[in-house]
Amino acid sequence: MKIKVIIGEENLDQKIPEGCTVKDLLKKMEIPSETVVVKKNEFIIVEEELIQEGDTIEIIKVIYGG
Amino acid sequence: MNSCTKCGNTHIIIRRKQSGQSLCKECFLASINEKVLKNIRKYKLIEKGDKVLMALSGGKDSVVALNILNSLKERNIIDLTALTIDEGIKGYREEGIKIAAKNAQKLGVDHKIVSFKDYLGLNLDDMMAKNDQIRHACTYCGVFRRWILNREAQEEEATKIATGHNLDDETQSIIMNYLEGNINNLVRIGPKTEAPDKRFTVKIKPLREIPEKEVGLYAVAAGLKVHLSGCPYAGESFRWEIGSFIKELSINHPTIMYSTLKGFEKIKTALKKEITIKGNLGVCKRCGEPAADDLCKACTFLKDWDVK
Repeated sequence: MKIKVIIGEENLDQKIPEGCTVKDLLKKMEIPSETVVVKKNEFIIVEEELIQEGDTIEIIKVIYGG
Repeated sequence: MNSCTKCGNTHIIIRRKQSGQSLCKECFLASINEKVLKNIRKYKLIEKGDKVLMALSGGKDSVVALNILNSLKERNIIDLTALTIDEGIKGYREEGIKIAAKNAQKLGVDHKIVSFKDYLGLNLDDMMAKNDQIRHACTYCGVFRRWILNREAQEEEATKIATGHNLDDETQSIIMNYLEGNINNLVRIGPKTEAPDKRFTVKIKPLREIPEKEVGLYAVAAGLKVHLSGCPYAGESFRWEIGSFIKELSINHPTIMYSTLKGFEKIKTALKKEITIKGNLGVCKRCGEPAADDLCKACTFLKDWDVK
């Protein structure tokens, strides 16, 4: 499946398998889920949410060190 | 559970592992507002008529705290004003200051910006250049920010200083002070400082029981404009190491921060009986602020650099 991923200024095209959740995507991208808020097609979602073909996933980093 | 525990809405934005609760956006925002206001009452952080000075960096914690405290201002319970301190960190601080100003303006809260440079003659970047890596930037930043905050609070005749400390910050402070054997500082940790001297304005932490992740979620869900960026000096500090360790532990033990805080609250009473907190401070010979020794901590640093 092809999806679009937005992280800050970056706009990435990603390929993920069927049945992939937000949690799986974050793990694949090596992003700790406890540091981000994720939106799917502009709505905030929980990490168990399934991602579908053509979705736009925005990953907002809300926790920085310090 | 795929629907909101409170209202049944199927669009949930959080599953709280610590309680098993699932919440939609509206119920999540309401739950945070209620929890913060409940803690303000429980710990008597604010009394009617207080003038509260919000330490507003523009980051998520202080912006969320400002918005919740503003609800008390709108109900004419408190007078609210905001202060942003420009530490002088090139390439990082400028954006936060702009965002802080926009938030204060949007809410109609009086806002003042002061800088390390104006107050001390040096900004944080200058200090680090002179420092020869003896002390971490967070040490200078913390000491000088507290010093300026207190002076500004006195000038503004504020009765309380509110900071954006969240549950993660508080848990880190407990573990850090314990591991460093700094028991005098450990017993001072709490929702409200018990100032040993009336020349120190009382500090309050309205977000103290809200996990950092939930503060971030609140900011995004409420559509608040916040400065989301990491301080270039923060990496490799002891606080950062402890914070990373606790976050890692929290993945498999989601209640660990609450239990650390609650456990600490239980032993704090006994600890305080054993530890005498110094009262009746003297006056710093350089700046006139309260000080335990001839010089306050801020002037001890400044004297070494021979400025102001």
